[in-house]
Amino acid sequence: MTTATYSTHPHEHERSEHGIGYWLTMALAVVLLAFGLAIFAGGVWLIALGGSYYYAISGVGLLATSIFLFRTSMAAFSIYLVTWLGTLVWAFWEVGFDWWAQLPRLLAPTIVLLLVAATIPVLKRAEND
Amino acid sequence: MASRHLATLTLALGLGCVSAVPAVLAQQTSSDPVQDEPTTAQSQLPPVPADEDGERPAVSPGAAGESGAAETADIGTDRSQPQATQAVGADWPYYGGGPKAQRYSPLDQINTGNVGNLERAFVYRTGDMPSERAKGKYAWEGTPLKVGHSLYMCSAENILISVDAATGKENWRYDPKVSDDAIPYSASCRGVAYYVNPQAGDAAACKTRIIEGTLDARLIAVDAKTGEPCEDFGDNGAVSLWDGIGNKVPGWYAVTAPPAIVRGVIVTGAQVKDGEAEDAPSGVIRGYDAVTGKLAWAWDLANPELTGEPADGETYTRGTPNMWTAPVGDEKLGLVYLPLGNSSVDYYGGNRSDAENEWATSLVALDVTTGKPAWHFQTVHYDLWDYDLGSQPTLVDFPTDKGKVPAVILPSKQGDLYILDRRTGESLFPVKSVDAPSGGVEPENLSPTQPTSAYHTLRKKRLTEKDMWGATPLDQLWCRIQFRRANYDGFFTPPSADKPWIQYPGYNGGSDWGSVSVDPKNGILIANYNDVPNYNRLIARKKADEMGLKPINERAKEDNGSIPAKAEGAGDPQAGAPYAIDVNAGWRSSLTGMPCTEPPYGGITAIDLASGETLWDEPLGEALRNGPFGIASRLPLTIGTPNNGGPLTTAGGLVFVAAATDDLIRAIDVKTGKVVWQDQLPAGGQATPMTYEVDGRQYLAISAGGHHFMETPVGDYLVVYALPQNAS
Repeated sequence: MTTATYSTHPHEHERSEHGIGYWLTMALAVVLLAFGLAIFAGGVWLIALGGSYYYAISGVGLLATSIFLFRTSMAAFSIYLVTWLGTLVWAFWEVGFDWWAQLPRLLAPTIVLLLVAATIPVLKRAEND
Repeated sequence: MASRHLATLTLALGLGCVSAVPAVLAQQTSSDPVQDEPTTAQSQLPPVPADEDGERPAVSPGAAGESGAAETADIGTDRSQPQATQAVGADWPYYGGGPKAQRYSPLDQINTGNVGNLERAFVYRTGDMPSERAKGKYAWEGTPLKVGHSLYMCSAENILISVDAATGKENWRYDPKVSDDAIPYSASCRGVAYYVNPQAGDAAACKTRIIEGTLDARLIAVDAKTGEPCEDFGDNGAVSLWDGIGNKVPGWYAVTAPPAIVRGVIVTGAQVKDGEAEDAPSGVIRGYDAVTGKLAWAWDLANPELTGEPADGETYTRGTPNMWTAPVGDEKLGLVYLPLGNSSVDYYGGNRSDAENEWATSLVALDVTTGKPAWHFQTVHYDLWDYDLGSQPTLVDFPTDKGKVPAVILPSKQGDLYILDRRTGESLFPVKSVDAPSGGVEPENLSPTQPTSAYHTLRKKRLTEKDMWGATPLDQLWCRIQFRRANYDGFFTPPSADKPWIQYPGYNGGSDWGSVSVDPKNGILIANYNDVPNYNRLIARKKADEMGLKPINERAKEDNGSIPAKAEGAGDPQAGAPYAIDVNAGWRSSLTGMPCTEPPYGGITAIDLASGETLWDEPLGEALRNGPFGIASRLPLTIGTPNNGGPLTTAGGLVFVAAATDDLIRAIDVKTGKVVWQDQLPAGGQATPMTYEVDGRQYLAISAGGHHFMETPVGDYLVVYALPQNAS
């Protein structure tokens, strides 16, 4: 769990060990929070209009990923991996091997997967603390 | 090398059996073209044997009718007899190639084996580029003619130009001084017409003449040899088309297409700028003597008794459906085929007259000897979608079980291709009547059914939510929400004001002004097409007033007619109707500017002419210049872009087509649909290419003029290709 909650770590000491990786992880968490909120809210609207359930569900995945990134928890990666795998299954179910149609469905989520994977060292270090 | 010019000299003179309007033609005039049962011409009309070169003797399918072939005495040219036509081959004497407008050339020096060696022979620049005021309004769209050693063309603002067809050296130019005020939707001049005065001596001035209609609504005739105005034509070479139209509002009434000249009669309509007002210039079709420029006849569809000029202070019926695109004529039958558009106000029909509802969005066969309709065929009933017939029709000797039938191919924006017996207007294939969606703001007026063609349609299957697109899941989601929020009940969903509605295909087609090409040798029809929806909404009058939407005649008073360029329909006032209209052409995402629907947005297909079956169908255009937020992706991947400009097919087994938004011209193998050559143009290639031969060398020409609506770079280039001289 996040270091900030451990009383054994002095506040000053904790801040000093946050390197660039930590702040990039936080930046990614902020971006995913923004996208997650938009996609979740839009997804709920789409369901209300009679459309696909995918977006609301993937919005939940993004929000959860974001929260666990804020907490520098390895669960962030696991949750996003599941979200991405679910996206993959959904995308092929919807449009198969039509690569132009896959562009909006898979490109950005795959980039996000790579970015979340890139935070693993930060998350691991945090968990080992 | 030896000339491969396959002359197909089409001499129709001396075939005295042509009667002007056979009785069989007249009976169709008022009948409803939508029929549930198959109508086949072969069961009703005798097949006519074609002669060797695909041309045919004149036909006389019925006894001579009572309609007058004889009332031609009042003008100089005898309209009772066909005149000689020019053959396509070494020359490209008509906008559509030959007299049949097949956009086909029998030249085969450039072929599938050597097309990869094509190189630029020359690049000619017209010098006609937009002024500061005209920026964002240019879309040249020109296709030159070639006769003898000369190319003949008009620039975007109607400068007539002749250049040497082998070198690009300018022979002459004639500038009719068209003002930027005159630009309607676009500064376009798609082409000119070439006419040989059969009565003049060979040395006489204007024996051969180049004729164009201008943006400021004049017919201009100049000597093909010198570019000097023809003194015998109108007022020193010009005829005003504003006569009888009413108050002169520059940009509201403009000619952008070449006229047809049939039996010595110049037949022209004009573009009446869409969506301005119900009280708009008339869509009257007029015929002028090609020698004298005198009005031969007028056809005002809502006032058929008026065949000359209206009385002083009166006008031809205002707001009626117009013909903004190119017609085609049949010299032997003495008919001209007019692809009519919709009434001036496209998206509301409650105030239209019965005559408008009868004739709008119809192909009309008009007898050029009298100016009276022989038959007509309506492709959309009660058109509320701007489904103007935009494609020049193509004449063809259509292969049937019982021989060849003189037919006309009618492409449409909704995608259906109709094959009609051009003598009678009877469809050679079943015309199906489909139930149309109901609803919208005028449900009581809607046509309950609409026609579709059993021959072929370029239209794709109806949209679903999963066809929505974007760069990321977020903008894709936004488009899915837009999809669910709109009224959409498939093809022909009626206009609505409570919610937006989706129109698919959009007003760009299907097939637009580029039309189709026919390879008569292999029996293949080539069609490039758009596959793009529009996202539209009616705007109640009160709100439109608040938005400041005013028709062009009121705008003109305020700011001298300099109107910001915009896509057609994006906030058109439709004055007189209870609703204005807002069109999101191509349904672009408000988040990214990218289309809300997935690619392809355009394609090109080959169709077996006899059966209508698809031979191949490929996306047309690369993603090079497209991307989110207007940023060019530079992806050299075929995505299928919107396209404007027709195909050219040659006996070399090639289809040449530019049209797409990637600024490429390409050659496609007609048998396989594969691109076998391409070249980058210096500007957008929104034009139909043409080909010709000089001294045994075949040339390929395309104008790169760009197009504001297609968002391609504007230019004034005529780019001409040929094979290296030592390699042929």
